[in-house]
Formats: sequence, C-alpha cells, structure tokens
Amino acid sequence: MLKNALNTLLVIALTLVLSACASVAPWQRGVLAQPSMALALHPAQAIFKEHIYISREAASGGGAASGGGCGCY
Amino acid sequence: MAARQVVVVVAAIKRTGWARFLTVNKPKKPRIASNQSLQALTLAALALPGLMLNPACAEEDEVEFQYGHYQEGKRNLFTTINTKNPIEVDSLLGKAKFSLSDRVKFAFNYTQDTWSGATPISTAPRVANSNRPILADTPSGQTITVGASPYLNTQLLVNRNYIPLKQKPNGRIAGQDTQLVHILSMASPETRKQGDFNLAYEWDETALDLGGGISVENDYESRFGSLNGRWDFNQKLTRLNLGLSYTNSDTSAILDHDSSPYITKSEFLGQIEQSGAMKIMHGNRQDWSSSLGLTQILNKEALFSANIGYTRSTGYLENPYKAMSILFVDSEQGGNRLNGELKAFLEQRPNERNQLNLGGRFIQHIGLTNAALHVDYRFFHDDWGINAHTFEADWVQPIGRTWTITPRIRYYSQDAADFYQPYLLSKQAFAKTVYNEASGTFSSIPFDARLLPQNFSSDQRLSAYGALSGGVTVNKQFSKAIGLEAGFEYYSHAGALKMGGGGEGSYSDFDYFMANASLKVNLAAMASPAFAEQGHHAHHAEAHHHGNPAPAGVMFGHLLNQAHAFMVGYRFMYGRQSGDMLHGSQLATDRQIVNGGCGSGVQACRLTPTYMDMSMHMLDIMYAPTDWLNVMVMPQFMDMAMNLRQLAGAPPVQPGEHVHTGTGHATGGVGDTGLYALIKLLDQPVHHVHLGLGLSAPTGDVDIPLRRNHQQDEGFIHYGMQLGSGTWDFKPSLTYIGQSEAWSWGAQLSGTHRMEDKNQSGFTFGDIFQSTAWGGYGLTPWLSTTVRGVYTDQAAVSGRFNATSGVVNGVLLANVNPKAGPMDFPSSYGGRYWDVGFGLNARVPSGDLAGNSFGVEWLQPVSTDVNGYQLDREGALSATWQLMF
Repeated sequence: MLKNALNTLLVIALTLVLSACASVAPWQRGVLAQPSMALALHPAQAIFKEHIYISREAASGGGAASGGGCGCY
Repeated sequence: MAARQVVVVVAAIKRTGWARFLTVNKPKKPRIASNQSLQALTLAALALPGLMLNPACAEEDEVEFQYGHYQEGKRNLFTTINTKNPIEVDSLLGKAKFSLSDRVKFAFNYTQDTWSGATPISTAPRVANSNRPILADTPSGQTITVGASPYLNTQLLVNRNYIPLKQKPNGRIAGQDTQLVHILSMASPETRKQGDFNLAYEWDETALDLGGGISVENDYESRFGSLNGRWDFNQKLTRLNLGLSYTNSDTSAILDHDSSPYITKSEFLGQIEQSGAMKIMHGNRQDWSSSLGLTQILNKEALFSANIGYTRSTGYLENPYKAMSILFVDSEQGGNRLNGELKAFLEQRPNERNQLNLGGRFIQHIGLTNAALHVDYRFFHDDWGINAHTFEADWVQPIGRTWTITPRIRYYSQDAADFYQPYLLSKQAFAKTVYNEASGTFSSIPFDARLLPQNFSSDQRLSAYGALSGGVTVNKQFSKAIGLEAGFEYYSHAGALKMGGGGEGSYSDFDYFMANASLKVNLAAMASPAFAEQGHHAHHAEAHHHGNPAPAGVMFGHLLNQAHAFMVGYRFMYGRQSGDMLHGSQLATDRQIVNGGCGSGVQACRLTPTYMDMSMHMLDIMYAPTDWLNVMVMPQFMDMAMNLRQLAGAPPVQPGEHVHTGTGHATGGVGDTGLYALIKLLDQPVHHVHLGLGLSAPTGDVDIPLRRNHQQDEGFIHYGMQLGSGTWDFKPSLTYIGQSEAWSWGAQLSGTHRMEDKNQSGFTFGDIFQSTAWGGYGLTPWLSTTVRGVYTDQAAVSGRFNATSGVVNGVLLANVNPKAGPMDFPSSYGGRYWDVGFGLNARVPSGDLAGNSFGVEWLQPVSTDVNGYQLDREGALSATWQLMF
C-alpha cells in the first residue's frame, strides 16, 4: 500500500518536474502572480480549519509546527 | 485571446510592482538573452524577493481578524435521548504581518479558542446501557427522562462466543446484540490561547524564517519553534523549502471527578498527582518535525508543489480524557450465558510515533473563466498502523474585479491504529473471590494486567473511517485596503466512507460545520502611490488628528471628520478582580460572607470567588458618510475565568448544592455587538464636542449552564460569567476634546441603559453611568502621555435567573440554580468606583506604516464601593490599534 503510493507519487512528481523544461520568463509570470494562483489561498481560514482537522483526524498536518493545543475534545 | 492575455498580464504586473520593469521594456517580443539591457533587467526582476511564487499582495503588510465557529451534530445514543449539546468551538484569530525593512519581515498571530459540549469518552456494547437516562420524579408522581448520564462500569451477559446478549425487561434473553454506542460526557467551557511569531530575512534568492510560539490552556501547554529555509534557483522557476520544527508540550489534566472514580488508572499511578480532591494527570510530549518541499513553475499558467515531511513524537501521547471499555468475562464460568463486567481504563498508547507525510499540489490557471484550479493530495503513514489519504480540490473563481468565490471539496480516509478497538474483551474476571481453605478466609484476586494488550484506545480519531466535506469561501475586496472573507464547510464523518470499505460502524458517524468570517486590512495599500496621488490618505491622517488622541480606555473618544473616511481598529481590554472580598468599601471576613452573602439570614454561603479575569477583544469599524456623522460597528469576543474557594466556617455541604472548588470555571465566545452613531456638535480649532448614540445588540450568550456534577444538575453559571447582557442596551455618550499645542484635555459622560425589563434568562444587568476627564501632553509629535480620572456607577442586577429544573440525586427539583456564594446573587453586582488611568499613545509618523496608531492605558483602582459582597479590583488594561484611511 505504502510502497505503491510512494512509487505513484514519485512518478507523478518526476514527470511533472521533467516536463517543466519550458522556461517561463519573468514577464510571462503575470498569471502565476495572481492571488488565485497562490499556494496558500486562505491562510487565516487554514489556521482555523487545520486545528479542527487535527482535533478530529489521525493524520496530522504537513510537518511544520503550526501551533500547539491538545485538541482533546 | 492574445489581447486578453496581455490585459491580464498587465493587470497582474501592476499589482506586483513590475510596472517599472515593463515600462522600460515593452514585452512585444521577448528577445534572446544576448540583449544586454534585457538581461540586466531580467536579473533585476529576478532579484526581487518572492517574485516567483508569492503574489505581491501576500507579501504586503497586512492585519487580519477572523472569527470561526465549529458546531458538531448530535450523536446517536440508541438507548436514550441525547439531550446534550455537542461540542462547539468559538475561535478568534488576529494576524499581523509587516516589513521591518526591505528584507526583514515580521508576522504575529494570536489565536483563542473556547470549546464546550458533549464528546465520546469511550465506546461500549449497546446492551451495557452506558448512557443511562437521567430519570426524575415530578411532583405529580410521574417519572420522566430529562437527560443521559455516562455509566462506565456496568454488567452484561454474553454467550459462549462472548457476544453480548440482549435482555428483556423481565430478564429473558432476546438474542444477540452486537450494536456499539459511544459513551458521551460533557466538557465544560475551556479556553486556549496561543501567540506565535515568525521573523523572516530575505536575500535575493534565499530566505530564512525563524518562528516560535506558545499555546496555553488549563490542562495543556505547548511551546514550539521552527526554522525554515527557502532557496529559489533555475531563474526562480524552482523553489526548495527545508524546515525543522520542535514542539514541547506538558499535560496537566484534571481528571473529571465524576467519571474518574470509575476509571482504572493503574498504569499511570506514577503520573497522577492527588491535589486535594482533584487527580491531576501529568505528562510531557515532544515532537520533532522536518520537511522538504519543492515548487516548480511548469508553464505560464501552472505550477506544482511536492513535499515530504517526517515527524517523530515521543512521550505522553494519550488523550487523558479518553477511556477504554474492557469487558471482563471469566471463561471458567459454566453454562451458556456468561456474566461480563465492563470496566473503563485510561487509554494506553505507545510512547513513540513516527509519521511520514507526502504531499503534492497542482495549480492550473483556467483561461476561459480566469479561474484557478487547485488539486491537492496528501498521503500519511505512521508506525501505529495508520495510512491516510487526503484529496482536496478548490476552484478559485474571480467574479468582476472585487469578488472571488471558491468552492471546495475534500475527501479524507484513514485506517485504524493497530491498537484501536471499540472495546476490549478479556477472558478473565476483573476480580475473583477465592476461598482459602487453610486460613478459612475469602480473598479477592484482581485481574492479571499481563493478559491485557500493552496499548489500547477507543478514540474514534484512531478508528477506520472516511470523511467527505465541501464548502465555499467568498472574498470581497472593498478597496485596495479592505477585504472581507466568509467561508463555510460541512463535514461528514462515516465509517462507510472509508476508502476500500471496512470502516467503523455507523454508531460512530457524526457531522459538523465550520464557518468563518474575516476582515483583512492591507497596510501597504495606504502607503501606495495611488493613495498619495489622490492626496487622500495624507489629508486624512492630518485631518483626524487634532493632536493627541484620547486615552486608550476611552471609547468614542475620536471622530472622523472627513466625509468617506474609514477607520479600522482593534481594542483589547483586560480586567482582574482578586484578593480580598469587600462588603461596600470595607473588608469582608469569611464569617460575614457566610452569614450575609447569600441573602440576609436566609441561607449560609459556602463558597466565595478567589479571582475573576475578563478579557475582551473588540473590532472597531468606523465610517464617515458625511463630515458630521460617523457610524460604527463593534463586534466583541469575550473570555472569562474564575475560581472559587470554600469559606472558613461554612456549614457542611448539603445535597443539591454547588460544591466544586479548585478547578475553576471558564466561559468564552462572542459577546454583545455595538452599533453606534457619532454626531459632531462643535468643531473649533481648540474645542470639539461630539455626541454618541448607540445600541448594544444582545449577541452574547446569557444562558451558559454549569456542567452536571456529582449527580447534580447545577443550573446557570454566575451572572458575571455570562458573555453578554442579554438585553438591547442604549448607550449614549457626550465627549469634549480640547487641544492647544502639545497639550490636550478632554471629558466624557457615558451611560448604558437596559431597554428591556429582563433578558431571556430572566434578569438584567444594572444601568451604568460613567464620567471621566483627562489631560495629555505630547512628548514628541508621535508620542503622548495621558492621565485621567474615572468615576463609574453601576446598579445591581435586577430580576434573577429563571428557575432551571434539574435532577439532583434522582429527584427532579424545580430550581437548581446555584446559590452557594455571593456571585450567585443579583445583589452582589455593581458598585461605585474611582480609578486613575495612566496612558501612552503613539502614532507611526512616516514610512510604510504611517497612520497606524497605538494606545495603552492602565486603570488603577483608587476607591471601590461594591454592592453586596464582591472581590476587590486589581485594575484594568486597555490596548488599542487604529488605522485610518
């Protein structure tokens, strides 16, 4: 299960990275700079939701310390 | 299509500040890099920090306030009605982010959550009847069900295959019953507060972030720190992130005194401290986390991000409030029906957990509708045997120039932990009585702990299930500076939703929703050339400031006197009462309180408060439709905490009384909302007068109950711990402000009049009258000090809590509202107070943050004359931030 998922993910990642050879010049990055393309769409909302998810699901967040709290309810 | 593309690019370029770059270099046909000037410009553009991935708006200085609400649905209890309110959480978040210099960014977050409600503490076979109806005899002789109470230790019958058997009321067996049910218990309100910061230093292609913070709640405290590095390369098409974080958390959980006596804690004896009547579980855990991320621009309209994270957690990883039900059946019993004994044990988890996270996110711009599609997948694996998958998709759809609507869907699925069981079966007796022939005595042999698994938990977070949720977030940008956001998500947790099947039974299904609303203020928009060109901001900043601002503790002390001016502010107030008890202005002894604090001579007091803390967070949004009228909206968020002690000389506790001490009470959530109009009456160079007319809307709760304790319902929590007034209140004020050179002075009369005879809970707080006068001196053009005097008069509470019927030791009483101490009596509210205030005000005079002003004031009590019996006051702190546009 784990191995399969890892392999799949690795293949997807490599394919995408390798297919990204096309260079995108700085003046072509207007679309990428739009707020809708941001990696974090709603940062404040995410803080609230992540704390709820962590209090209700076993899979904890992405790794970085986003905050404490037992969430023991 | 090409033309459209150019328009979009130019719009985005304007936003991201590339305009200078483009005006020099028209992108009609990008030539090859041998063109030297182009090369130089490209390099210059690349040198801008964060050019690639962070849209400029995310990099700008901003302040954001958010309110979030979480509400769970009721769980199915099968055998009895579930009258308990499920878990709900009120959450407040304040975020501030600003640049200390071109390369140094600072961010600060403050979060506060208050939660309460019923949640599973364990799981048991339905036939164990663990959620017992609370039955009560009414005066007319009827028996009615008024609620459900958890019974952790019960007896049941099983067959030879250890399957629970259902019994009819007459004792006959009605067949097998494998149905499970959660055992629910109420959690009284608890508040968590967290502060954290992030300091970033940015070089041209790299950045380093240092973060840290602390989270404090009654039973849990976490301290955490993190270090993150970022490196852009490949002409900023590729970004690498590397992060390391550490969290150290201490548990000191007061085990519930109602359920704790019925829970076997033998494995944790070394960690449990006995403090008076309380048992406190101590534990420490540490979490180390590392992550590696890669973000790659794929083309002009798509990017991809992948990350891998590893977390190692060690120490006390249990949830101190979760118990495992163990069914003990002595297999040596004869016959086809065996007696089983269900016993609750504190859950036991491994002291170590290694977790792996893999994630990928793909973001594609959809040119047709100018939308963006975000697709996210995460895989989680740990050595507790849990594999989990999370899929998320967001469709970000801008509509017009100022609206964005983002529908979202999320699916989550996880396996159960290896040691998860809804309940455990142990084929031995919990305790066996044996007869010793030699000595002729009976002795009891306890269960053999070695026959139990080393780890076990019935926490449903560790069970196998799936969850499907969906929602929408709406953003509206009112101006460059002000944006609003509202979000909603509905979430359904079900065993049947688990990927591949095999999830937990439907008894554990539940649902919830999350809603949030936020106000975002972009500080940089004010300093932008657009604002300066209009002369808008500069004009306003001067126009509002007649000089020194009023002290931070004075509300309505300031008027926007420019039509269409706008102000956003935040106000924090903290007040503490502690120390001696007063009767009038005199010290009250315990004996006086016992005899007089609970209604003269009618009943003796047993308890008295030791402290009471109140914090209030207010958002202050103000707009001037004309130059003589301002309208204001002020939502509030409150939290309160108090503790009680036994009075010396109190008579012994009688059944039916509010007896718990030491653990304290807390409440928190949305308070009342103020709606005000300020009207300019006089506006001369030296003298200014304005009138305030306002309403306070009863949005705060006034019906928060105490939790059922010791088999007793306890009615409403004390008047002063409720979050609002419960009534529509009229709040007039009259303010005078004078100013001459560096000196300023002012005075204000203000009042609160309750416009209703009583609120929904049966009482009203007393009317308030306040007068204050102050003087201020500007030390520098940006810093001033104030001194003021305040007199406040508040009447006592009138009316009283509506009678709350409840069950005490199986008897339904017409009124179980607490009457144990002065805080439970309307006569011990209000009083006459003198205070002296010392304040500092500062205003940022120039730079990117120009126009931001800050104030702080400490109110020191000088004289206190309370109604009835009340705690002395220690003082109050006010802090404000304001920004005008």
